[in-house]
Amino acid sequence: MNRTVSRRGFLNLAGAVGGSTAVYRAAMALGLMSQARAERPDIAALTKPKKVLILGGGISGLTAAYELSRKGYDVQVLEASFRAGGRNMTVRNGDRIDETGFPQVCNFDKDPDLYFNCGPARIPGHHKALLNYCKELDVELEPFINDNRNAWVQDDAMFGGKPIRAREYMTDSRGFVAELMAKSMKPESMTAPMTKDDYERLREYVKYLGNLDPSFKYVGSSNAGLARHDYTAPELLKTPLSASELLKSRFMLIMSFGETDDQAAMMMEPVGGMDRVVAGFLRKVGHLVQLQSQVQAIKVQGKGVEVTYRRNGEYVTAKADYVLNCIPMHLLAGIEHNFPKEYAAGFTAIPRGKLFKIGFQMKERFWEKEGIYGGISWTLQDIQQLWYPAHGIHRKKGVMLGAYTFDPNAGEKFARLAPADRFKLAIAQGEKIHPGYGSYVESGVSIAWHQMNHMLGCAAQWDEALWKKWFKTLQTPVGNHFLMGDQVSYHPGWQEGAMASAHHAIAEIDARERSSKNAVAA
Amino acid sequence: MKLKKKHWVGLIVLGVEAVLAAGSARAENKFDYCLLCHGADANGNFGIRAPKISGVEPWYLSRQLENFAAGIRGVPGDDAAGHEMGPVGMRLKQEATLEAAVEYIGTLKSKPPAPTLTGDVAHGKQLYANCTSCHGAKGEGNQTLNAPALAGRSDWYLVVQLANYQKGVRGADERDIYGAQMRAIIATLPDEKAITDVVAYINTLK
Repeated sequence: MNRTVSRRGFLNLAGAVGGSTAVYRAAMALGLMSQARAERPDIAALTKPKKVLILGGGISGLTAAYELSRKGYDVQVLEASFRAGGRNMTVRNGDRIDETGFPQVCNFDKDPDLYFNCGPARIPGHHKALLNYCKELDVELEPFINDNRNAWVQDDAMFGGKPIRAREYMTDSRGFVAELMAKSMKPESMTAPMTKDDYERLREYVKYLGNLDPSFKYVGSSNAGLARHDYTAPELLKTPLSASELLKSRFMLIMSFGETDDQAAMMMEPVGGMDRVVAGFLRKVGHLVQLQSQVQAIKVQGKGVEVTYRRNGEYVTAKADYVLNCIPMHLLAGIEHNFPKEYAAGFTAIPRGKLFKIGFQMKERFWEKEGIYGGISWTLQDIQQLWYPAHGIHRKKGVMLGAYTFDPNAGEKFARLAPADRFKLAIAQGEKIHPGYGSYVESGVSIAWHQMNHMLGCAAQWDEALWKKWFKTLQTPVGNHFLMGDQVSYHPGWQEGAMASAHHAIAEIDARERSSKNAVAA
Repeated sequence: MKLKKKHWVGLIVLGVEAVLAAGSARAENKFDYCLLCHGADANGNFGIRAPKISGVEPWYLSRQLENFAAGIRGVPGDDAAGHEMGPVGMRLKQEATLEAAVEYIGTLKSKPPAPTLTGDVAHGKQLYANCTSCHGAKGEGNQTLNAPALAGRSDWYLVVQLANYQKGVRGADERDIYGAQMRAIIATLPDEKAITDVVAYINTLK
């Protein structure tokens, strides 16, 4: 390598080896980052009530209902399903899983620890809006373990499919790459504004990044785990794994998952299940939510919006001053409406997510015997991840996640199968990580989000080009009709994104009411 | 406890709702999930590739649902939308509500779908000559020949299905006798352009 290293080049290198945390830290050190935070809108109380219909009782809808109803707005939430919460869904003993073709019932034991979060399952510390609501709505939180270096990494492409500890993969591969970097960095290849002193600091950085020895060689590190944990004898390092085997695995692409902005410690989860957030909102606005009301038509009118929905087989028409619409766009495309063509065209332009999850009740918390307490094992098989519960440690049973697919093809593959066959496939793959895995399974639940009634999709699959082309159009209200939900945020798939979209919409309503003098300052 | 007047009113309203829920309307509500995918009045939703099914002949709907239930349709690869319909067909069969679902679809308000594609209509008309003997000169269909109507259907769906016949995604299962006939005739529509043109012509039929 005889190229010069610029600041940007260095950041890219640091990212490749150390993950985004390394980039972040390095960037902070170089003074390139700043932080900004959006505020929760300050909605003014109304002097004359305004009717607001919220279509969809998921997180964005409940957020808006909570904020508006306490400021004098006359709010009604129409929810198509038999339950509120949207994709914030936790299942326990006896709960119904309303999948269009394969309806299921959760057969976990009746026990407060035995639940499965089918949708969102973790909250990072910077999701301020959600955390504020948790505090305000008395939703108790506990730590959630996302990143566990003691969990397994399994890939048929390396070591003949034999799982290795995540700490071994990460430490040995970083050690190997750091050694290469140290060898190839030359003072003369540094360009301004890199100085000779910078070069020395950089070498030190690389040395600590890769746990290199004083001669900048990687000879193994206790970060990879010790060969034995006999504390009456001298420490014995493991022999580093073969770098060429490690590099055969595409695990390198997800290695830094637990360091990304939304996934890094400290993560949290509500005690007893993510749907405690929904329960918290419902304690405040549950009386405003009408279930089993499936919207069939939306007509934007001069001064308001008219909505027709089906309830108990009847068509009901309701009028409102404002409509906040959280219906997934791909379903909205099939509803009667009078939206402008260029607005409605967006509904079919954003692909729907096809994420898939399985939860297993295990008769024994066998992973704890392997030294795994919470966190994620990764595999390059279809199931992709195994999650171990951080709650209920050392109890007899536990519900663990047996599959969580990001790849739409894997999601479709599972979704096509009947639940029993989904479990069979997931167990066969899990066996490669934990031999005897299937013998612990007592019952399972499967969630194919793109086949769930009233959703038919997970998070909207935006990309840079789609955002550029459609986001502003879809975010901008049509008359008094506002599109909402995590689908209208730059953070789809997160409750924080759903709340951001709700805050954005109600701030606009507030501005309109203030300008028409129908508000008293809060 | 003494009930106040407004409580009585509330009880009566609740009573009315309970009656509504118990009546025939309730049975109808059971199939609202058809509308979830296939849109309001089942007039189709391109957003999730669910075609218009209102206005489709009941005998044809039954046969296709039976096909989905039996795994004749929705099984081969490269048919994501069919894969999603498969389990629904199975569920309808299992719960013995398949015919009731077809009947329900028949009660919905069908409206002509807006064309979504453009093609060479004159060329499509020439190609359509091969279709008339079964599907009729006006695309009105012919039950005695087991050929469904083509006019008034979601045009994008016709394109997808013709391509599926072409690729063997549809009509390849040996139990699919009528699909096999379509497989045979699809040779007259050799490429994407031919399919688009013939559907563009079907769009002009009433």
